[in-house]
Amino acid sequence: MKKRDLISKRVKDIPPSGIRRFFDIIASMDGVISLGVGEPDFVTPWHIREAGIYSIEKGYTSYTSNYGLLELREEIARYLKVRHNLDYDPERELLVTVGVSEGVDLALRAILDPGDEVVIPDPSYVSYTSCTVLAGGVSVPVPTAIENDFKVKAQDIDKRINPRTKAILLGYPNNPTGAVMDREELLKVAEVAQRHSLVVISDEVYERLVYGVEHTCFASLPGMRERTILLGGFSKAYAMTGWRLGYAAATEEIIEAMMKIHQYTIMCAPTMAQMAAIKALKDGEAQVQEMVAEYNQRRRVMVKGLNDIGLTCFEPRGAFYTFPSIKSTGLSSDEFAERLLLEERVAVVPGSTFGQCGEGYVRCCYATSMAEIEEALERMGNFVKRHRTQ
Amino acid sequence: MVNWDKLGEEQVWALAEVKVTPQRDVGFDAIAERIYRFPEARTVYLMSGTYDLAVLVVGKTMHEVAGFVSEKLAPLEGVQGTVTHFLLKRYKEDGEIMDGEEGPKRVPIMP
Repeated sequence: MKKRDLISKRVKDIPPSGIRRFFDIIASMDGVISLGVGEPDFVTPWHIREAGIYSIEKGYTSYTSNYGLLELREEIARYLKVRHNLDYDPERELLVTVGVSEGVDLALRAILDPGDEVVIPDPSYVSYTSCTVLAGGVSVPVPTAIENDFKVKAQDIDKRINPRTKAILLGYPNNPTGAVMDREELLKVAEVAQRHSLVVISDEVYERLVYGVEHTCFASLPGMRERTILLGGFSKAYAMTGWRLGYAAATEEIIEAMMKIHQYTIMCAPTMAQMAAIKALKDGEAQVQEMVAEYNQRRRVMVKGLNDIGLTCFEPRGAFYTFPSIKSTGLSSDEFAERLLLEERVAVVPGSTFGQCGEGYVRCCYATSMAEIEEALERMGNFVKRHRTQ
Repeated sequence: MVNWDKLGEEQVWALAEVKVTPQRDVGFDAIAERIYRFPEARTVYLMSGTYDLAVLVVGKTMHEVAGFVSEKLAPLEGVQGTVTHFLLKRYKEDGEIMDGEEGPKRVPIMP
């Protein structure tokens, strides 16, 4: 009898994660400093944790509405109004999700028909391409480059639009580059979206982590609210990654479609996490600002340190990543990351993990203590001295 | 901020409640100064309630602390009496939790 393939072709075609093997290397080593993390090094502020504990004590252990607790949606609506002057109806235009990760998946599945194309800046967060493929779509990378501080150009997006193009998926502030887009640049992207009648999925999970610049919410641009799926979350701003909580804001039609998938796959986001998130929005602002100030100091040390040791690095204005060029070593980003780990016990993520345009770069996260950053820079300096070819 | 318990250096702390006789014109200040000049008196507060001065005393041994209270503090003119409580464990000091969190246990590499 012919052996039957147990795994779908669609899943098989998704390449395995390039960073899995680093886990095994790190697990076998002592004294590794990791700049390879993708989350804050702070613990969730106590009063937010306490709200989660209290909700369990009081017995809030059942499902919530599929959309999420109305009180939380009202707080999110208030937040978007105060911060971006956006009006979303908490009853019909907001959906609480299990992190922005779920939001990305729901957004793509809600809008894509088989073969529809999604234009995605390269490099970008790893899930965008895979979730597009899982939703039956085709991802179309748009190259970005260090010469333009890894910002995506509207004309480069425009060149890749065809009748099959359904959406643009933006993630700014960007993981892995730390790039941000200013209002003028986003307006040009908005014009392209308008002209071709595209949906814009805007992952703004890092919106609070910007340094010396204002974050522009894509949905707040003229005419964009109607075609934008705004994705936000609690993980980065409030150091709540493990709580798994985010939200989507869009028109009633889109939210209704996303909710359809959400109700059959997830039911609702965890209740205790939702209760904690209400507290975060109500009383978490001071802690957000403290954390941002701390990241900013580390960011400066990291950018200067990397440039000093010969790993050229543009100044990232958002998230908590630096994206230095490793060209002076002549190594590929994968080789660089592996050898740096083995020789100097510093973990970074190869830029190629995030797309072809990430080749020649590595992602270094500065959400770690200043002492560790300084030690890591010293070790990386030694490494670069040994490997420098130019 | 020092976590003395973790320093490994033996130290004995005690809170001495001191009842004193206030003096005309200076109130508690003169007697408080007589007490806070001693280096063993690490912290001195004037309190409302059943006693007047709270004195946090530190010494190398319990014997040393007891000696300070009975031979220096209690005999002072104006001191009516003392009640000494030895400190057993520090949980939180000046806003810092002593046996605090170790920070999040993060996955070392994550996209």
